[in-house]
Amino acid sequence: MGQLIFRRLVFMIFMLIGLMAIVFAISNIAPGDPARLAAGPDATNEMVERLRVERGLDKPIIIRFGVYLSNLAVGDLGTSLHTRRAVVDDLARYFPATLELVLFSIAFAVLLGVPLGMAGAAFQNKIPDHSIRFLAVSGVALPMFWLGLMLQWYLSLELDLFPLGGRLGIMTPRPETVTGMLTVDSLLSGNFDTFRESVWHLVLPSLALSLPALASIIRVNRAEMLETLNKDYILNARAQGIGPLRIVTTYALKNAILPTLAMIGLRFGWMLGGTVLVEGVFDYPGVGLYATKAAVSSDFEPIIAVTLVLGASFMLVNLLIDLTYALLDPRVRSQI
Amino acid sequence: MQPLLSIRDLSLEFNTFDGTYQAIDRVSLELNPGEALGLVGETGCGKSVLTRAAFGLVPSPPARITSGSVLFQGREILGLSPREQRAMRGRDVALIFQDPMTFINPVFKVGTQLVDAIRAQQLGKVTRKAARDIALNMLDKVQLPNPVRQFESYPHQLSGGMRQRVLIAMALTAEPKLLIADEPTTALDVTIQAQILDLIERLVQDMGISLIMISHDLGVVSQVCSRVAVMYAGQIVEDAPVAQIFDSPAHPYTKGLLAAVPHPFRPEDRLDGIPGSLPNLYNPHTGCRFAERCPLAINRCVEARVAQTFVGPQHMVACTACEGAQIDA
Repeated sequence: MGQLIFRRLVFMIFMLIGLMAIVFAISNIAPGDPARLAAGPDATNEMVERLRVERGLDKPIIIRFGVYLSNLAVGDLGTSLHTRRAVVDDLARYFPATLELVLFSIAFAVLLGVPLGMAGAAFQNKIPDHSIRFLAVSGVALPMFWLGLMLQWYLSLELDLFPLGGRLGIMTPRPETVTGMLTVDSLLSGNFDTFRESVWHLVLPSLALSLPALASIIRVNRAEMLETLNKDYILNARAQGIGPLRIVTTYALKNAILPTLAMIGLRFGWMLGGTVLVEGVFDYPGVGLYATKAAVSSDFEPIIAVTLVLGASFMLVNLLIDLTYALLDPRVRSQI
Repeated sequence: MQPLLSIRDLSLEFNTFDGTYQAIDRVSLELNPGEALGLVGETGCGKSVLTRAAFGLVPSPPARITSGSVLFQGREILGLSPREQRAMRGRDVALIFQDPMTFINPVFKVGTQLVDAIRAQQLGKVTRKAARDIALNMLDKVQLPNPVRQFESYPHQLSGGMRQRVLIAMALTAEPKLLIADEPTTALDVTIQAQILDLIERLVQDMGISLIMISHDLGVVSQVCSRVAVMYAGQIVEDAPVAQIFDSPAHPYTKGLLAAVPHPFRPEDRLDGIPGSLPNLYNPHTGCRFAERCPLAINRCVEARVAQTFVGPQHMVACTACEGAQIDA
C-alpha cells in the first residue's frame, strides 16, 4: 500500500512536468508580447527591451523552461504582472478559496447524487425515477455560467435569499487565516456568525458548479445500481428474506458505488476547470478568477502556476479515489 | 397427508419487447413433507422460474402469473404481499443456487452475510452476537474447514466448494421446511460435486427438510431423490418415482433423455440424441410442446391440452400415446 502511494507520487511529478511543458509551449505560441504588457502602454521601446532581457524573455523557450523548473524546485513560481506579487503568495491567497468551493460542490453532488441514483434504480420507470431523470438531464444540458446568472437573478436579486457573490460581506471581519478556507477558519476561531455567512456565500456558486456533476453522478449510479440489482448475489440475498431497503442501500450500493467513484474523480477535475466560469460569475476570489484576470493581461506565469496546482489536485484526488476503491473492494485490496 | 407444497395449473409469461413469452404452461406439482423431488429438464425449460415464481422471486414486470395457485402447507401464497413473502423466504423455504461464485456478494465478509441472513430469517429477533454463534455452529455442520477463520474471510478467498458450503449454511440456519436446490453442483468439479450432494442429502434428512432438487443431470437426481418430475418447454411431461423413470419411462421425451445418457461399460456406443430443437414459446399451441420432435406425434397432440394419464402407481405422464395404458390410480 505504502509502496503504491510512493510509486504514484513519483509518477505524478513526471506527469506534472509534462503538463507544464504543454502549458509553457502554448503560452509562448499565444499572441501578445509579455514584455510589452509588463512595461505598460506608455513605455518606450528601450524600456521594453530592457525588461525583456531582465526577465530572460529573450532566451530560447527550452532554456526558459529549464530556468522555470529550477526556480520551481526552490518554490519560486515567478511574479504576476497584474497583481505585482509573487505568484506563490497569490496562490496561497486564492487556492484555499477555490478548494473550499470545489469541496463544497463535490460533497453536495455526491451526497445528493448517490442517493438519488439509488432511488432512481429502486423505483425504475416509476414517478420518482422520472423526476430524478428530469433533474439529471437538465443538469447535463444547462451551462453552468448561465445557471449561475439565473440563480443570482432569481434567488439573490428577486428573492434576496442569498448574497450575490464574494466570500463574505464587506463589513464582516475575516477570521484569522489558518487553512485559508473561511468556513474552517471561522469554526476554528469559534466565530459561528462568520461561519454561517461564509456558508451562505458558498451556496449559489456551489449549486452552479455542482449541477453537471450531480447529474452525471445520478446517471452513472442509477445505471450501475440497475445492473447490480440484477446480479445473482442480490437474488440470493432476497431468497434469504433480506429486506429491500437493506438490499438496495447496502448489498447493491457497495458494489455499484465503485464505477460511480471513478466518475466522481473525473467530475472533480471538471469542477476545478469550471471554477474559471463560476468564480467569474460570482466574483468569487479563487484561482479561477485569478487565472482569468491573468489570461486577459497575457500574464503567463500565474496561468502556468494555476495549471500546475489544479493538475496536482486532480491527480491527488484520483489517487485518493483509487485508494478508496481498495478500501471498498476486498479483491482490489488483495492485489496491492 | 396434506402436501407441503402444492402447485396447481400454474402459468407464467414474460412480457418482452418481442412479445409474450409463455415460459410456464399449466404446471401442477405436489410435494409431501419429507419427500425429495427431482425436477429435471434441459436448460431454459422453466425449472428455475417455476420454483422461484412460486415464492415471489421473479420480478414482475416482466413476469406475470396468468393462472394457477400455489399452496404451502395448505395456505395460498401467490397473492401474499411482498412483506409476507419475504417473511416466508429463509424461514419456510430456502434456496441454494447453481454458481457459488456469483451468488455470494463479493464485497462483504462471509460472516457479515451469514449474520445478516440469519437476522433476516429470525425477523430481527436475534442479536448480532447470537447470530454469529448460530452461523459458526452452522458452518461447522456444513463441514467448512476452520469456520472461525472463514467467518472473517471475503468470498474471493474461498474455493468454489467452500463457497457452496457457505451458501448451504446460509440457507439452512433457520431450519426451513423446504429446500430448493437449483443445480447446486453444476458449477463444481466432480469430486466436490459428490461431497456437496452427500452434504445436502445428509442435512436434509437430519433436519427433516423436504427437497426439490433442480438438475439436468439424471445421475445426480437418482442419487438424492425418490421422485422425479420431467419438464419440457414449460410443461411437466412425466412425474414418477425414480425407479420407474429409469426402468419404464413412458413419455417419449423422457425416453429420449435416457437414451442420451452414456453407458459406463460401453463408452464406444453412439448416443441417441433427440432430433430437432426447442419450440418457440412466443406463440405456442395449446397441446404438447414436444409434439414437433416426437416420433409418436399425431394431430390430436397439438390440437388440445394433453390429459394426464396414470400408467402406474404415482406414475403420471402427459402423453396422448399413453392414454390407452391408464390404470386406476
